[in-house]
Amino acid sequence: MMRKVISGNQAVALAVKLANVGVTGIYPITPQTTIIEELAEMRARGEISTEIVRVESEHSAMAATLGAALAGIRAFTATASQGLLYMHEMVWWTAGSRTPVVMVVGTRAVGPPWNIWNEHTDFTSERDSGWIMAFASNPQEALDLTLQAFRISEDERVFLPMMVGMDGFILSHTKTNVLVPGGEEVEEFLPPRRQPYVVDPEEPLGMGNLFPPIEYMKLRNSIDLALRNSEDAIREIGRDYVRKVNPMGDYSSLNVKYKLDDADYAVVLMGAWAGDAMEAIDKLREEGVKIGMLRIRYLRPWSEREIRNALDGKKAVLVLDRSTSFGRGGPLYVEVKSTVADVVPSVKGVVSGIGGVAVNKVDLYNLFKKFVSGIREDVIWYYPEGVEKVELRTPRDIE
Amino acid sequence: MAMRMLGMALGKDVVVVVVAGCSSVIQGNAPYNAYNVPVVNVAFAAGPALASGLARAYKQKGKDVTVVVWAGDGGTADIGFASLSGAAERNEDFIYVCVDNEAYMNTGGQRSGSTPYGAVTTTTPEGKKENKKNVYFLMMAHDVPYVATASVGYPHDFIAKLKKAKQIKGFRYVHVLAPDPYGWLFDPSKTAEVAKLAVQTCYWPLFEYERGKLTISPECMHCLDRRTRRPIRDFLSLQGRFKKLKDEDVRELEEYIDRTWEKLKKMAEG
Ligand SMILES: Cc1ncc(C[n+]2csc(CCOP(=O)(O)OP(=O)(O)O)c2C)c(N)n1
Ligand code: SF4
Ligand SMILES: [Mg+2]
Repeated sequence: MMRKVISGNQAVALAVKLANVGVTGIYPITPQTTIIEELAEMRARGEISTEIVRVESEHSAMAATLGAALAGIRAFTATASQGLLYMHEMVWWTAGSRTPVVMVVGTRAVGPPWNIWNEHTDFTSERDSGWIMAFASNPQEALDLTLQAFRISEDERVFLPMMVGMDGFILSHTKTNVLVPGGEEVEEFLPPRRQPYVVDPEEPLGMGNLFPPIEYMKLRNSIDLALRNSEDAIREIGRDYVRKVNPMGDYSSLNVKYKLDDADYAVVLMGAWAGDAMEAIDKLREEGVKIGMLRIRYLRPWSEREIRNALDGKKAVLVLDRSTSFGRGGPLYVEVKSTVADVVPSVKGVVSGIGGVAVNKVDLYNLFKKFVSGIREDVIWYYPEGVEKVELRTPRDIE
Repeated sequence: MAMRMLGMALGKDVVVVVVAGCSSVIQGNAPYNAYNVPVVNVAFAAGPALASGLARAYKQKGKDVTVVVWAGDGGTADIGFASLSGAAERNEDFIYVCVDNEAYMNTGGQRSGSTPYGAVTTTTPEGKKENKKNVYFLMMAHDVPYVATASVGYPHDFIAKLKKAKQIKGFRYVHVLAPDPYGWLFDPSKTAEVAKLAVQTCYWPLFEYERGKLTISPECMHCLDRRTRRPIRDFLSLQGRFKKLKDEDVRELEEYIDRTWEKLKKMAEG
């Protein structure tokens, strides 16, 4: 184990190296690009033997990655924003194939208009695709979750692909202290690849041909079951990771609580702004406000049990979304509300930080204060810079 | 630079479709744009299909509008190629301009299908192992009404070809080589020189292809004979991206140029 000052993207590239990935299909898109550039450099320096397939689109990046995975090789790719949207068909195909694959998403807004800055909508828009979906809150976690992703995805209780999200630029490009495990530790943690079937002439099988509707439905049903079952596997693998790889980590649960148990008020969110939220919570605690936080680390599986237990009995819950589910606020809000509506009297949603709008700890402090004193609307769009009212209709009306 | 020439060549009554790439960024911030004609920005792979819809709609409305797709080499040779091929096969009525800086420059210079053999990019740190995909050959294979190549080193030729394209109906393809000092690693003041050298060394051919007939442009007549070509090293040595080339790599590029010209010569002879 070694301490290094590296960015989230470098951390992910190191995880890919440590996991001994055999094949990666790559295609550039900001802010993920430096992951694949780093891999190309590692390969040029002879540090990895990963086959790099420099494909012509993200659709092909996922297809090439899946192809290698079907043939029995550990495979990885990374993308963001438009790239993930363009890949969408193959994202579903990969989950439907029940084939272990790992992908990292450096989150970014979706066009139009063009915007390269951070927001989670690209990531959350894949929440129904059948993938395991984790989201990091710092570069260390990006590395840890990427390594765990291979084992989770290749666990026979799961056998589903797994994506790890991290905030574009905020995590992907910001350098922090990261504990980088050594090869031996990882080897002990990560067994050789397992998968439900391998496409090989020795065992001729047809993949993805027509099934009668009832068989099709059973297969879809089994994805639902696998996602639900994965909860236990994830906790178990998380604990093993702490034991064997990173003793400083806390992966005994899917989601992470902060000063929550004795709190009257709870904030729920996902990703890097958890850091600022914790500082805002500390300040409010000093002022005597009993507030805490639940950070969603796994969007899928959605641990109903953990989330209900964590929020049960709170006076009010505020859900922050850095992504949109147009007409419904944000996806986390919709999920949380459907999970705890009967045990929490008030669940409010806030959409903020869209398209890279900066939200700092002071903004969050102000927002949380407002929340504790009572927000009337079910969902608000929060503009830290003090935009009062928005009535935009089309791009023409921009000032 | 190439974009300015487009304005000069086509005048008003133009609608430009810009796919992801440097050209989507250099417009500046909304709602104004630096191009002075209506611009539709669209997803990376979608330009030719979107332009097909626009062109059909203007036709239905009885409006004489020249629709232009403006795309980089990555958008053309790679991710947008299926859409491009579809529109060409349907002989859609628009001009497609491929601005070829031989890599994905907007994202920091990764290799594309249009990156030449040997060039160092951020995803080919040891130099690319495959030859450039020559999309102009592929467009000629689609048998479209007009295909032309140009270089920003010869602006008059480029503008003349765009003007000519404007007079023709149906699918028109103009492929312009646009050296990028930051991606090719040379001094920005040498952009025009590098763009000229690409042609003088016959690395980049200039020609027009119209109704099945290929005409070599006057700037390139010397390329028809191998002995009168300027040495490729004159083009390569100015650029950092070719610094690692060994002698056999240079030979590989020379052979690629030979093969390209053999094909062009045959087509020119008809
Ligand atoms: C589906 C999709 N994938 C990736 C990107 C990211 N992207 C934007 S521009 C670009 C490179 C463009 O290269 P090229 O077409 O050669 O144009 P240039 O920037 O070199 O002018 C890439 C990869 C995107 N916008 N959409
Ligand atoms: S100089 Fe290069 S990177 Fe900059 S806009 Fe032009 S082509 Fe793009
Ligand atoms: Mg380019």
